Amino acid sequence: MSQEMKSQCSDEYHSSDEDMDEDINNYYEDMGDDNDVNEIQEDDPESFEFELLKVEDVERLLNESVETLCKAINVAPSLAKLLLHMQKWLSTDVIARYRQDSSKLLRDSRLAPTNVVQVCNSPFTTCPVCLQRCPAEIMSGLTCGHRFCNDCWQQHFAVQIQTAVSTGIECMFKDCCVLVPEDFVLQIVTNPKIRDKYQEFCFRDYVNSHPELRFCPGPNCSTVIRATERKAKRVVCKECNTCFCFRCGIDYHAPTDCDTIKKWLTKCADDSETANYISAHTKDCPKCHVCIEKNGGCNHMQCSKCKHDFCWMCLGDWKTHGSEYYECSRYKENPNIANESAHAQAREALKKYLFYFERWENHAKSLQLEEQTLDNIKKRIEEKVMNNSGTWIDWQYLLDAAFLLKKCRYTLQYTYPYAYYLDKGPRKSLFEYQQAQLEAEVENLSWKVERAEITDRGDLENQMDIAEKRRLTLVRDFLEL
Amino acid sequence: MANIAIQRIKREFKEVVKSEEVAKCNIRVEPKNDNFTELRGEIQGPPETPYEGGMYILDIKIPETYPFNPPKVQFVTKIWHPNISSVTGAICLDILKDQWAAAMTLRTVLLSLQALLAAAEPDDPQDAVVAKQYKENLEMFNTTARHWANVYAGATKREVECDSKIQQLKNMGFEEHKARVALSTYNWNVERAMEHILT
Ligand SMILES: [Zn+2]
Ligand SMILES: [Zn+2]
Ligand SMILES: [Zn+2]
Ligand SMILES: [Zn+2]
Ligand SMILES: [Zn+2]
Ligand SMILES: [Zn+2]
Repeated sequence: MSQEMKSQCSDEYHSSDEDMDEDINNYYEDMGDDNDVNEIQEDDPESFEFELLKVEDVERLLNESVETLCKAINVAPSLAKLLLHMQKWLSTDVIARYRQDSSKLLRDSRLAPTNVVQVCNSPFTTCPVCLQRCPAEIMSGLTCGHRFCNDCWQQHFAVQIQTAVSTGIECMFKDCCVLVPEDFVLQIVTNPKIRDKYQEFCFRDYVNSHPELRFCPGPNCSTVIRATERKAKRVVCKECNTCFCFRCGIDYHAPTDCDTIKKWLTKCADDSETANYISAHTKDCPKCHVCIEKNGGCNHMQCSKCKHDFCWMCLGDWKTHGSEYYECSRYKENPNIANESAHAQAREALKKYLFYFERWENHAKSLQLEEQTLDNIKKRIEEKVMNNSGTWIDWQYLLDAAFLLKKCRYTLQYTYPYAYYLDKGPRKSLFEYQQAQLEAEVENLSWKVERAEITDRGDLENQMDIAEKRRLTLVRDFLEL
Repeated sequence: MANIAIQRIKREFKEVVKSEEVAKCNIRVEPKNDNFTELRGEIQGPPETPYEGGMYILDIKIPETYPFNPPKVQFVTKIWHPNISSVTGAICLDILKDQWAAAMTLRTVLLSLQALLAAAEPDDPQDAVVAKQYKENLEMFNTTARHWANVYAGATKREVECDSKIQQLKNMGFEEHKARVALSTYNWNVERAMEHILT
């Protein structure tokens, strides 16, 4: 593994003596994930060690495992590879089980048949597939003893590979599940296009069966991530910037766990009709009723006409939010709902879902809007630097603030599915308390970032510190590992 | 069609499908056209099943990639069975999908279908309505299946009560097959069947 491919989620902050342009570029690519202002490392609940591998690196890694196994138990490499694939690449386990009962392991891995057929030794036999009489030398078969002519094998492989089957190709006999190893396929298949496809599909299968490996889900990205533990941790692909969960491969979702986020996303997709009306981008000012459009990520709104400060989510007075934010992010269930009619319960369930969905959706939108804020900040800094009003280093803190804001809001967004599925009780109360705290600080930070140039630098950095602390507290207390 | 597919089908006809053994099991297959891409199959309803005495016609299409891909088989004769669509005749059977093996033949397919008629798999249904009846009211299912076998497959055992209920709906101006489907679906409850046709 090349050293620069090694990575860790909470990287060191960039040193300032590097080429500044280069530095800025790196910075953009890092998506702000390495922007740990507080340098909390040892007890950072999100830190995770992983490597980014190229296809060649992965091939080397797999081949090493195959070689080791071949040496240990003396089987052909192609068989060893399929054996490892079938046994999830647990080499030590495979070696132990092989030594204990090799034929059982081979049967369990579908590399040997449950019962072997007597091979007929006559010079001419009928191929059971094409039903032609064939000389023995053009017939071949696997450990099960079922023999077919090479033409038939070739067509069988072509049809299977066409439908993306590779490591799962079986013997052609009825009810025979013996798998065909790689070298057998490659001996028979001559068409270079089909060979390439086959090897590509095999590679995909090997990576998917390997507990330490996962393909980057980014579009057209061939990077493979390697981590020793299959945990629900954040992985950022340096090639394409995709940020995802190592355990399930979808967008990173702390503090929500893999099963819950899957359930939530399925629910959102199923209920998209119901939730459609929420996508409104305008609301009326609760005081003077002028129509207000939301064009930034911040949920602390100020009416352009009457200057009334209010909350975009609940339309409550912003002044009371500092102390009572709790009331905005927490859903208040009807305490008597168990005694209500089925109809009322269904309505209540929908109301509850929409409450959480609206907030989830709103933060997702805010994140997009904050992307624009980030672009604006970059442009403004460029202008300033061009006009000799300071250097990139002088204005770096503005970018830091915008990146941190994105990171905090991202976590905040993912607190809503967590809260939705959390059972009532003291744990939920604590979660909602911390969520409200985080929400308040994120909005404060958002407000200040949007007005960054008129905000005092110290004040802004202080706000960053508070927001990140709130985020880390929540993640540390509720991220189940 | 690929050379191997034609060769294989021709040999199947010569060596397998026309064998005495096949005749004994009461299955038959014959080509519909000269190039053997479409065949007509026949299986007899197995004894001691609601399909006993019925003759079921199958539509068999041989894909270009036969025998490396399975033949496409559908019931032409209407049948009431959890794994066969009562509407289209489509079949849910593993060997016609991912459990197909190139060494299987049309004979294997027809015999497997015959076995399917004798032992339904309601947990892997093709027709949800039929499967539900099978699981919830086996006696009702057997009656319905026998009635369909009598009407569509030429089985001799008549279900008099079913016939009279269908006649009842026919007298009211409803089309016969529509009436049969509705009655079969609603466990031969005339009122609910009518309600269903009218909505
Ligand atoms: Zn075999
Ligand atoms: Zn052959
Ligand atoms: Zn990537
Ligand atoms: Zn996950
Ligand atoms: Zn106003
Ligand atoms: Zn609010």
